[in-house]
Amino acid sequence: MELSTHKNDQPIIGTDEKVVSPWLEAWISFKKNKLAVIGAFIVIFFILVAIFAPLIAPYTFKEQMLSNRLLPPSSDHWFGTDDFGRDIFSRVVYGARISLWVGFLAVLGSIVVGCLLGILAGYYGKWVDTIISRTFDIMLAFPSILLAIAIVAVLGPSLRNALIAIAIINIPNFGRLIRSRVLTVKQEEYIMAAKAVGMKNSRILFHHVLPNSMAPIIVQGTLAIATAIIEAAALGFLGLGAEAPNPEWGKMLADARTFLIQAPWTMIFPGLAIMLTVLGFNLMGDGLRDALDPRMKN
Amino acid sequence: MKKRTSLMFLAFILMLSLALVGCSKNTANESSSEGEGSGSEEAAVDTLVFGRGGDSVSLDPATATDGESFKVTKNIFETLIEFGEQDTELAPGLATEWSNSEDGLTYTLKLREGIKFHDGTDFNAEAVKFNFDRWASGDKEQYYYYNSQFGDRIKEVKVVDDYTVEFVLNSPLAPFYKNLAMSPFAIASPAAIEEFGDKFMENPVGTGPFVFKEWKRNDKITIVKNEEYWQEGLPKLSQVIFRAIPDNSARLNALSSGEVDLIDGVNFSDVGTIEANADLQSFYRPSLNIAYLGLTSTRGPLKEKLVRQALNYAVDKEALIDAFYAGAAEPAKNPMPPVVAGYNDDVVDYEYDPEKAKELLKEAGFENGFEMELWAMPVARPYMPDGQKVAEALQANFEAIGVKAKIVTYEWGTYLDKARLGEADTFLLGWTGDNGDADNFLYVLLDQDSIGSNNYSFYQNQEVHDLLIAAQSTADQAEREKLYKEAQVLIKEDAPWIPLVHSQPALAGKANITGFLPHPTGSDVLSTVEFK
Repeated sequence: MELSTHKNDQPIIGTDEKVVSPWLEAWISFKKNKLAVIGAFIVIFFILVAIFAPLIAPYTFKEQMLSNRLLPPSSDHWFGTDDFGRDIFSRVVYGARISLWVGFLAVLGSIVVGCLLGILAGYYGKWVDTIISRTFDIMLAFPSILLAIAIVAVLGPSLRNALIAIAIINIPNFGRLIRSRVLTVKQEEYIMAAKAVGMKNSRILFHHVLPNSMAPIIVQGTLAIATAIIEAAALGFLGLGAEAPNPEWGKMLADARTFLIQAPWTMIFPGLAIMLTVLGFNLMGDGLRDALDPRMKN
Repeated sequence: MKKRTSLMFLAFILMLSLALVGCSKNTANESSSEGEGSGSEEAAVDTLVFGRGGDSVSLDPATATDGESFKVTKNIFETLIEFGEQDTELAPGLATEWSNSEDGLTYTLKLREGIKFHDGTDFNAEAVKFNFDRWASGDKEQYYYYNSQFGDRIKEVKVVDDYTVEFVLNSPLAPFYKNLAMSPFAIASPAAIEEFGDKFMENPVGTGPFVFKEWKRNDKITIVKNEEYWQEGLPKLSQVIFRAIPDNSARLNALSSGEVDLIDGVNFSDVGTIEANADLQSFYRPSLNIAYLGLTSTRGPLKEKLVRQALNYAVDKEALIDAFYAGAAEPAKNPMPPVVAGYNDDVVDYEYDPEKAKELLKEAGFENGFEMELWAMPVARPYMPDGQKVAEALQANFEAIGVKAKIVTYEWGTYLDKARLGEADTFLLGWTGDNGDADNFLYVLLDQDSIGSNNYSFYQNQEVHDLLIAAQSTADQAEREKLYKEAQVLIKEDAPWIPLVHSQPALAGKANITGFLPHPTGSDVLSTVEFK
């Protein structure tokens, strides 16, 4: 199941000693998956949009022109304008920054904390495991968006707090994943061997156990970014995320509700942006899972 | 599983677009079918269903404090003096003539003869005295308006003869007549009050054009034509039903589907749709309100007059009106609307001039701007259709002069409580006049006596206070107007607010309604309404 340690198990191309690294092999398999590649392109596209937002956007995201409110899409305003006369194209472009930022950072946060707790629970077992695992169970018992709303309500509504809330609700997913990996890896002979030669626990954990759990984390992480983006948009929609005038996509949807009939473009474009990024991450995540999971190989 | 989420999302978007397509078709169908329908069912359209935001709290006007209650009692009861059809000028009501002594302490009213209450008892001077004695003897909580408008100013109500009544006051009360015209001071049947006691609020008996029939709490109130009404030929309708529909959009839907005939509380953004629909018409209520951004003068940089003036220069009111009031408002420069006597039209507003604003900030020592909170109300008010959006527009105005505003909001009750304690830097708020008197705006909202009640901006100026108190105790109307005009000049200079707009709240009704005259106070008499 693990990839980086058993190099000799991997298929060898040709008769010479040349060995294909499992990562390269995963890449080859990923490339074959058309949907996954499309997903990756979408993700890369949005990342580029986010990075170069100031160059792409023709206006700033908060520049109001109240005389130009609710204009339909035109050559001046590709996606039309909202009820403050702000250019929706520019806002969607800048919004990519917020959504991706929240997605990446929240998932990174939950991976770090989740991994730490998962390793502790899996490696040490006994009461440490009981406490951590039961805490995860309790957290998973809540519908995640409800828990996020509760956390934001306690911390006060802001983009940073929404990010923290999303990070917290995703911790158990990663924690449980890592714990199960650790439980399996712990039984492997090379871990026994490492113990036998007197290697310290911390070294075993971070040099052997963790690297051998990377693949599922990457898969889970990619998919979690998609969920995190939706959750951030949901919090924004409920007025618990980004503050005005930040162009958070979910908040843009909420603001557009009143003009659904009158000016549908105020809702369509941020909605499309959310849908596309989430779709991109999901396709890419599915592709990565297929590529990284040795069981999926034919 | 994750794949499923993305699929679900796709499906959702598709469903949404289907729903949208469905919507547009439906409305087209509905309007055409209704057009045909109205031709065939001409008979029996003398019942009007009025859709409004909330149910009444009490049907006894003396104990009611909320606008929804007065909307109904205004049609069951009448006051001694009435307001004009669409203004707050004095007009004869149950009293035909009135006069007062030189010193402003004695007021004599001649009553209309031959009027009967709905229960058949006579309206006369005794009945008037009975009502005033009832309000004066009750506890303060119960008769809120009597105590806030008259307090213990009325020493005695004398019955001179059957149709003459005389009020003797302890001290002059300038807005006395205006007060008499307010809905809470409508005359009720003494016999019914004695009969029903505490239950009078559910069994109102007055002299008005309509007679109370039934009240189903949180659903509807039915009133029927008063056959004995003293005004010849009125009311024109045989029945009016008041229905409570809290959500603005739902109420408009009820109107388009024909469930109700007339609605108030229309979103300004919907007025265009209503006017485009041949089956509907829109109405505007003449403005008796003010929406403002309070600048709490006890907090941080806002202590500086120059800073408050700078913020005034930063706001583009015309743009706000076009964007959020669909043009149905006028920019405000004084703390009261122009229809109020004593309005000072010579006051020059701080025009929209960000450069000037920056200069003033520099002069005040805030060259690099500062940060502050901007509170936005969570609910729609007649003077402020969408606090959040207006706040966002103001935020951009302030940012242009370097002032960073953070938009804050609380639940409505908390919002008012916290603002009253002076916890907000700047806050959106407004006021709808009760009786159209300047005192009801300037003294209530900006006098130092009102700090802790309705003076949320903690504005204090001894000179203004002296003027307002003098105006309160002068009976001479011309003299009062002069004092109020002076006060407005001082207030403008001190800039405790950014007066934003005087809005004309929008209403809508079926296209065949005539004779509906929305009143600035918010309580409309429906006696002249009819279906063509």
